[in-house]
Amino acid sequence: MSDTLTRSPGRPPRSQSRPNRLAGLLDRPARLLGRSPAVRVAITRVLQAVPVVWGATFITFCLMNLLPGNAAVALLGDDATPEQVAALSARLNLDEPFLIRYLQWLGNALTGDLGNSLQNNEPVTAILGRALPVSLELVVLAFALALLVAVPTAVVAAKRPGGFADRIGMQVSMFGLSVPNFVFALVLVLIFAVGLRVLPAVGYVPIAQGIGPNLRAMVLPATAIAFALFCEYTRVLRADIVDQMLREDYITTARAKGVGSWQVLIRHALRNSVFSLLTIVGLQFGALIGSTVIIEQMFGLPGMGQGLLQAINSRDIPVVQAYVVVMACFVVGANLVTDLLYAVLDPRIRHGRPAA
Amino acid sequence: MTTQIQPDTATRTADPDAPLLTIENLEVTFRTRDALVHAVRGVDLTVHAGQTLAVIGESGSGKTVTSRAVMGLLPRTATVRGSIRLGERQMVGLGEKELRRCLGREVGMIFQDPARSLNPTMRIGNQLTEAIRVHLPMSRRQARERAVELLAMVRLPAPARRFHEYPHQLSGGMRQRVMIAIALACQPGLLIADEATTALDVTTQAQIMDLLLDLQQRFAMGLVLISHDMGLAASYADQVAVMYAGRVVERAPTRRMIAHVRMPYTRALLDATPRLERPPHAPLPVISGRPPDLRVLDPGCAFAPRCSRSQDRCQHERPELTEREPRHEWACFFPCADDSLPGEDER
Repeated sequence: MSDTLTRSPGRPPRSQSRPNRLAGLLDRPARLLGRSPAVRVAITRVLQAVPVVWGATFITFCLMNLLPGNAAVALLGDDATPEQVAALSARLNLDEPFLIRYLQWLGNALTGDLGNSLQNNEPVTAILGRALPVSLELVVLAFALALLVAVPTAVVAAKRPGGFADRIGMQVSMFGLSVPNFVFALVLVLIFAVGLRVLPAVGYVPIAQGIGPNLRAMVLPATAIAFALFCEYTRVLRADIVDQMLREDYITTARAKGVGSWQVLIRHALRNSVFSLLTIVGLQFGALIGSTVIIEQMFGLPGMGQGLLQAINSRDIPVVQAYVVVMACFVVGANLVTDLLYAVLDPRIRHGRPAA
Repeated sequence: MTTQIQPDTATRTADPDAPLLTIENLEVTFRTRDALVHAVRGVDLTVHAGQTLAVIGESGSGKTVTSRAVMGLLPRTATVRGSIRLGERQMVGLGEKELRRCLGREVGMIFQDPARSLNPTMRIGNQLTEAIRVHLPMSRRQARERAVELLAMVRLPAPARRFHEYPHQLSGGMRQRVMIAIALACQPGLLIADEATTALDVTTQAQIMDLLLDLQQRFAMGLVLISHDMGLAASYADQVAVMYAGRVVERAPTRRMIAHVRMPYTRALLDATPRLERPPHAPLPVISGRPPDLRVLDPGCAFAPRCSRSQDRCQHERPELTEREPRHEWACFFPCADDSLPGEDER
């Protein structure tokens, strides 16, 4: 019987991540370390992350040096004499050559010492420790909110393409994609803080002071960010489901079994759409952690975006560097988690065969 | 088999001679942006329990659309007119709920590409138990047992282990076996196989066909084989209906059809089948031209522009499908003569 031959599930899998020669180069050590595709993806990605994060710090350092002025000028203000500036520069080690300062920073950073702020001599790790949770909470809330609304909306819209729900959903999401999030934020503030007076317009309440007050402060900024994400996810997911419903034979198979149309949509189509959704969520999650600057500024949230902006304005290189390292790590980390989730969720990768 | 399923009374009527599937004057049109596509233009077909009907035709002849119309699986842009009776139930215009109750339970279907017709992210077992539990009040456990039985029935090796595997872990032939198991999960009276073996290699194709015929005998099912392959029809079907441009153009019991081809199109199809007896490197006779534009409704015979026997009359008048010899119907004014062997009048 020719069709009884099984394909061996233990065959060494082809790497899922081979975007360039570097990855191919890193594939070999990864292969030595782990046999499971998930472990190998993880190892390859972590190894790939090293040059990415290092490159980000170096480029940032260069750019910061190209900017006019330095921390001394920023600290002393416009009225300072050149002598005062020179003295402070020397005290802050700003008069050393560029490369020396970078290597000093790099050496310290590798031992875990990210240095102190040039502004107020506070340890950079302490500044990060305050700002990171704020941004992280904001972004996680925004993503959760966006996905929570986008998935049901997309499913309902895809149920009847061109139907009432679909048209409304697509109009709203087209509108949402064309409105910048700060405009939407202003509208939200106008309605919920100024008009209805149910939510605060600005301010941050740490989680330590209670989840309720904390969430109350976070709802508006998170919604402002979530709206654009919701619009994008709805469109992507809806398009993917509609496409499957029209094209895929397994959908016809499910229908031919007598499975109800909602069941077909959710059990069969949505299940496969998770992958395209996962891709964009993963890509955005890493990037979004630093791109919340305007929203954090508007709502007075002491997060990464706001912190980075201040640090750049005061030429506070150690703080800027630390933020950049964290953001680069987030981008790489989010991509890694995405790849791992693929490996966990998609049986074709999980069993060590490349997806067709 | 430990689990017995009560035959559905709607499809298996008291009268054993009553056809299982009766299609009368079926017309299917698709709305496109700028035109109406007349994909099926008045098709009559009947299938009896235990009988195999092969519907043969090239792409665009309407054979697949006809089968999808039976299943109510056409896209929203399609309009179906005419009558499709499954047992005593009228399928045209059936509500979604009743249709769903019918699909899988009274009529099952398998498709061309087993690699695409199984959901890649679901285990074989879940796809099978889903088909069972949609219709039968079974617990998860019972459905599982039944599913493993079904996998054994389609002669899938190591069914209990395969139950937990994903489609990509199976070969093409094994996937098609799983598809058959799914289609037969609730023992429907009628099975429609839409090019079910086209994507498989020849050995596997024969195995799958043997399995299908075996199961058909066992359950006294009606079987509709939809194919472009005359050879397949000749080897496995009781009756052959040849379709062209949305119409049945010739229909007869298989043996009669092969021995006494009347319709020039059927003859051309037979000639275009590769044969071992042909001398090597001899050019394969092909049917010149293309199938007609389905947006246009011409008064004449649709095959006339490609037909070597066509005459003036064929352009203006359409021959009806009529029983012109006992149990042999064709739609042609100038049929091929009885004594001509396949390919003879071309040489």
